[in-house]
Amino acid sequence: MNPRLVILDVVARPLYVVILLASLVVLLRGHNEPGGGFIAGLVAVSASVLWALAHGPAAAEARLPFRSPLILSAVGVALGAIAGLPALLLGDAFLTHLWGAIPLGFTEIEVSTVLVFDVGVYLCVWGALAGYALSLLEADLEAPAKDSPEARR
Amino acid sequence: MIATIALVVFVTVTVGVYLSLSRDLFRVVLGLAMFGSAANLVLFAAGRLGRTAPAVVTVGETALADTANPLPQALVLTAIVIGFALVCFALVLMLRLIRDARTDDALALRDAEPLPTDPVKPPATDQAFEPVVGADPGREVAR
Amino acid sequence: MGHAQTANPIDAMGVAARAAFVLAPLGLFVLVSWVLATKTLPVDLAWSWIPSLDIEWRFRIDGLGALMLLMITGIGTAVFVYAGGYLAGDPNQRRLFWMLVLFMVAMVGCVTADDLFVLFLFWEATSLTSFMLVGYSHARAESRKAAQQALMVTGTGGLALLAGFIVLAQATGTTRISDIVEIVPTLGETPALTTALGLLLVGAFTKSAQFPFHFWLPNAMAAPTPVSAYLHSATMVKLGVFLLARLDPAFGEWPSWEWTLKVVGSVTAAWGMVLALRERDLKRILAWSTVATLGTLVMLVGMRGEGAAIAVGALLLAHGLYKAPLFFVAGNIDHGTGTRVIDRLGDLRRQMPWTAAAALLAGASMAGMPLSFGFIVKDVILEAKTAVDVFTFAKAANTVFGSIAVAVAGVAAIRVFWLHPGENQRVEAHECGPALVGPPLLLALLGITLGLFPFYVQDLIALAGVAMIPGTEVPVLSLSLAPGPVLGSLAVTLAIGVVIYLLWDPLHQRFERIAARTGRIGMASQYERSLTWIPTFAAAVTRRVQDGRLPVYVGLVAASAAAAIVVAIAHLVASGAATWAAIEWPGLGFAGAAALVIAGALVAPFVRDRLVLLLAVGLVGFGSALLFVFAGAPDVAWTQFAVETVFVIVVAAVLLGLKRLGRGMGIAEPRFRPLALGVSVVLGAAVAALLMIATAGPFDMSLPDWFGRTSVPEAHGRNVVNVILVDFRALDTLGEIAVVMLSLMAALPLVAALRRRRAPAGDAR
Repeated sequence: MNPRLVILDVVARPLYVVILLASLVVLLRGHNEPGGGFIAGLVAVSASVLWALAHGPAAAEARLPFRSPLILSAVGVALGAIAGLPALLLGDAFLTHLWGAIPLGFTEIEVSTVLVFDVGVYLCVWGALAGYALSLLEADLEAPAKDSPEARR
Repeated sequence: MIATIALVVFVTVTVGVYLSLSRDLFRVVLGLAMFGSAANLVLFAAGRLGRTAPAVVTVGETALADTANPLPQALVLTAIVIGFALVCFALVLMLRLIRDARTDDALALRDAEPLPTDPVKPPATDQAFEPVVGADPGREVAR
Repeated sequence: MGHAQTANPIDAMGVAARAAFVLAPLGLFVLVSWVLATKTLPVDLAWSWIPSLDIEWRFRIDGLGALMLLMITGIGTAVFVYAGGYLAGDPNQRRLFWMLVLFMVAMVGCVTADDLFVLFLFWEATSLTSFMLVGYSHARAESRKAAQQALMVTGTGGLALLAGFIVLAQATGTTRISDIVEIVPTLGETPALTTALGLLLVGAFTKSAQFPFHFWLPNAMAAPTPVSAYLHSATMVKLGVFLLARLDPAFGEWPSWEWTLKVVGSVTAAWGMVLALRERDLKRILAWSTVATLGTLVMLVGMRGEGAAIAVGALLLAHGLYKAPLFFVAGNIDHGTGTRVIDRLGDLRRQMPWTAAAALLAGASMAGMPLSFGFIVKDVILEAKTAVDVFTFAKAANTVFGSIAVAVAGVAAIRVFWLHPGENQRVEAHECGPALVGPPLLLALLGITLGLFPFYVQDLIALAGVAMIPGTEVPVLSLSLAPGPVLGSLAVTLAIGVVIYLLWDPLHQRFERIAARTGRIGMASQYERSLTWIPTFAAAVTRRVQDGRLPVYVGLVAASAAAAIVVAIAHLVASGAATWAAIEWPGLGFAGAAALVIAGALVAPFVRDRLVLLLAVGLVGFGSALLFVFAGAPDVAWTQFAVETVFVIVVAAVLLGLKRLGRGMGIAEPRFRPLALGVSVVLGAAVAALLMIATAGPFDMSLPDWFGRTSVPEAHGRNVVNVILVDFRALDTLGEIAVVMLSLMAALPLVAALRRRRAPAGDAR
């Protein structure tokens, strides 16, 4: 990984943005067309892997939301759980979804707890699988030297 | 189509298990991955394969018409993601072994469970677990 | 060390905290007294628990339960007060109090439960809290060992008890104890009931330290004295007797019941007393005499007749009232002198006058001296025995018990307080504070008061007795101090007792010599041996079953799975129920995808280069993604493509690292491993055959149809797969993403050590 490819270095930034945007599209259209949180999350993981190949796993991790794969995936799980709470207030079962629209005069924005849930899935999958991928990419297999602080620990 | 899937399943399960029975830990992990693929196929095929239209309702309609069974698809989809996490976990374990135990040979890992030919150690005596305490909290001294 | 009461101001509990804890038993005592004063027994309470099994939280307070309740809470109050003083300044005192409270609650549950399984639950709770309490001084090996032994013995008995309860519930068709005792006599001696009885007896005998399970009780004296006084004399060890008394109406007419109880009880009574002679530790001497008393109680339960039933209640109460204070006295002596070895003790009445008074009063009751409650109980027991035809051995055992009780009382009350300690070195002594002197004095005084005015408790004892003989009228007892035939018997036991007391030291030496020889075959050493033998056996078995080679483990799992499927398929084929899916030619795309998968799989076992192996496995993944495409599953296919891409890229990068370490090639091993191949082929064929059979049957489309119909109108989504994931089965999905996150959480510590050591600046985020 260390001998970086110049071309990868150059195209990494635009590609990263494009792939993430694509993942958002996949996420948003998922309810009606093939796609959804899981697939979008995996697409986003591939963006992170691309960045790791270009600039190193640590840099890829720093570019993640919250700068930590674990926190990112935990936020995803939390969003998923939060999406189930409004139903409880209305006396329905946990995770019974609600739909609504916010009128803006000329058009209206459709909102639903389903979307919140799917975003949670997206963030969790992105965080967790990027966490695995980046860890594996970052693995240092040389055994620690005998006198390094790590060996003594 | 079921017969084709069954043939694919036969080959992938056989090879996956065969790889997992290796002493080489990398083969074991990849065998696990292949076995996972086979399991997903079985799960998928159990929902029947006859109809091959995607399980998406056509715009304007209100119900699915003659499409593939969506339920096993949903199950397999999450299984793929979890399977990926599982294989990655196994890889991490293997890498730790290579780094700390300096081996990726399953037969070289003998610390936890000795061979049947190794002598049976007697159970640890009570003294071995005697904690070192600063002061004796009990005041019951019979002698 | 030492016994100065230097309280640690941080850890020690204040007087207020201790008083608060004392309120627990005291409050219950008042409550129980109020219930007894206002309600007619039995009082029933019930809450539903497991309706499908007809198990309820059923409680019933009858005479026997009421007597036990009063002892648990009354003596409990004394114990709580005493424990506050005894362990003043001990940093762990709060833990002791909480465990005592838990124990007390468990005991209350035990003696009031009217359902077999509720009783069992509380029974086990007493075993567990007893484990914690015996092991209170957990830093000492002796204490841990004693706790373990107590738990092993009573826990094993508890398992037997559970089995017995289950058989009993099956045989009678109910779990309610008050119904069972009515049903069992109508069933006669069926094999099921005999089995149940055997198991129940094991449970009761272990709990009440009956021969041959008697050895754990004296060892449990490693517990702090308040615990010994409470658990191992007044309450918990009586549970076995209590259970036997509870079941007496059910099994009482059986000769096997009568004889087992009489023989075991007599042997325990006599043997416990003899073993008391072996000891030099005051507390252990008292413990053996407790074992003997429990034996006597078991014997009395086994005897027929109203008199015996009443004697059980009377002896239960009397023993609690004299043995608990004697334990307190032993604790005070330990506290005041630093030793409990009787050779070093003597003349303590000068330094410890109040303790001496308590010892004298309690000792009088234990010896059955006139004017004490013990005397009355002796009278009751004697009457019970003359009322029924008692075999000679029980009589002899009782004489042994009675006389050695006199001797033990002499040692505890007279020897250490009034005689000179002999040539042994004299110890320094001081009297203890009011919290240590009050409880024994009060309980011992109560024992004397009841001796003088027995009519205060005679109704309670009569009620307790009647609980063992349902259907009879509550007799009007008139306990009195009138000298009767008991005087003659008292004279005999007193005479023998005094002789034993005087000859204590020579007898002790003789018994010590005999015991040294018989010790090896005793139950205690059998227990010790099994403790070493069981783990050794387990280790040897583990060696065979788990031989430490990963391929063997995987092979065993694969072979068992294959065997299970093959057996199932063979069964289907043999019964003619198996139908096979039709073989039809797939479409071209589908066939091509299948060919890709098969090609990748077939290459994999033959390559040594790990990178090639990865590509082969990747081919299997991409091929199955294509299969999903052609089977109408675009979402799944897309997922599989994405996963496979990331997987191949990441693992390839890892392999580059491995290659730098010289690990680019796999470990050389035989290309053809026949056993492994056999297992894999069988499993592969079995799974494929299972698939062929499973998909041949008719398919229930109701679920897919329902999802297809409701997806748009109710969930506002046209992609049914995604709607299932995020809406219909959203809770599943939430669980799954949580699992993925948790697995990362588990992997990160493993990974942390693998991380390339970063520059210090980058590390400090």
